[in-house]
Amino acid sequence: MRVLLRVLAPLVSLAVAGIGALLVIEVVAAWVSPGSGSGLLVPWRDWRSTAENILWTAQPVLWVAVAAIVAGVLLLVIGLLARRHDVALDSPSAGLTVATAPRVLARLVGSRVRALDPITAASVTASSGSVVVRARGRGEAGALREEARAAAAGVLDALPLTRRPRLTVRATAEVPGSSRSSQGVH
Amino acid sequence: MTADTTPTTPVPLTGGPQPSDGGSASAPADPRRAARAARRAQYRSAGGARWGLTLLGVVLLAGGVLTVLLVNGVFGQNRPHRPLLDPMISEFLVAHGTVARVSAIVAGTLLLVLGLLWAVRGLRPEPRPDLVLDAGSGSEIRIDSAAAADALAEGASALPGVTRARARMVGRASAPAVRATVWVEEDLADTGVAEICRRLDSEVLPEVRDSLGYPDLPVAVRLELDSGPRDRGPRVS
Repeated sequence: MRVLLRVLAPLVSLAVAGIGALLVIEVVAAWVSPGSGSGLLVPWRDWRSTAENILWTAQPVLWVAVAAIVAGVLLLVIGLLARRHDVALDSPSAGLTVATAPRVLARLVGSRVRALDPITAASVTASSGSVVVRARGRGEAGALREEARAAAAGVLDALPLTRRPRLTVRATAEVPGSSRSSQGVH
Repeated sequence: MTADTTPTTPVPLTGGPQPSDGGSASAPADPRRAARAARRAQYRSAGGARWGLTLLGVVLLAGGVLTVLLVNGVFGQNRPHRPLLDPMISEFLVAHGTVARVSAIVAGTLLLVLGLLWAVRGLRPEPRPDLVLDAGSGSEIRIDSAAAADALAEGASALPGVTRARARMVGRASAPAVRATVWVEEDLADTGVAEICRRLDSEVLPEVRDSLGYPDLPVAVRLELDSGPRDRGPRVS
């Protein structure tokens, strides 16, 4: 989203500037020499006669309106969602800020959960507001979940996070049969 | 009323360079302002671009929705059966020719200027201001931006648990700040991150700020996790 913003913003800004320049040029040209040709750079006199003859009920008008709605929604979504998703850490003094990426938080939690003995696989999704751990391992699901939760909570407690994210842990117990069959494939 | 005689706010120190001659050098002028400056140094702001796109999106959306409503007869049953450029509007524009032309020129100029400012702001590389110290008697000492930033990066990378660090100057020349990225070891102890933050603040920053002569230089640190020992093989250049 951030990349899209970086690419789109200069294009849109240049388009806005271009429309402004065309508007000024055409208005001044029409003012200085009225009635010459169909326009200096754009054939706006033709456009005007078209606009005078097309009714609002014409099908193309509706298509253009729908296209404008779609483009508007896209720009709104990019403009509203292209913000930074950093995780803020407590800074010891005012002149220093410390932040990290959600990816770092996920890796720290993930490596600690995977280090547990009964856990065979774990995936972590993190943001500044929530950390979701999905763990798989040997044994009973409830016990696995508690172990993984304790490990993840230990990481979150030790990190100087400005706002402690909500921790969600889901654990599934590996069925011995399926694990053996998957080992057989390798 | 004593408002005339008692200043309500303490006079803030100037944002400009100050030699670190002790006294007020240890405490920043205004903690809230220092925090804001450090927050602003975290990354390059894309607020302008986001605002522009959002505004344009709202305009397009509103235009599209109003057109669909008009076509469906919400603004009167006869309205959809009239041309796009209503003769009523044309007559009005002809009747007020000069006003219409001048407002069109003003609007066009405004669009042109805003669009160009927006484009320049987005495309210009982020400045790296040098640090300028007032050495008195009309002379000044200029510290290269790379040298100033490297001082902090070196200090940070010497901390235990930190594998490498990179820093650059950001902001305006009158209000510089440092943006640093600090890579920490992946197998750091649980409390390692807090310890690094504490030591950055209590050991590295005072030394750097003192040596650069900026007692309240704002610093924004970004922590990254270095790749594990597997990836740390010999590098081929």
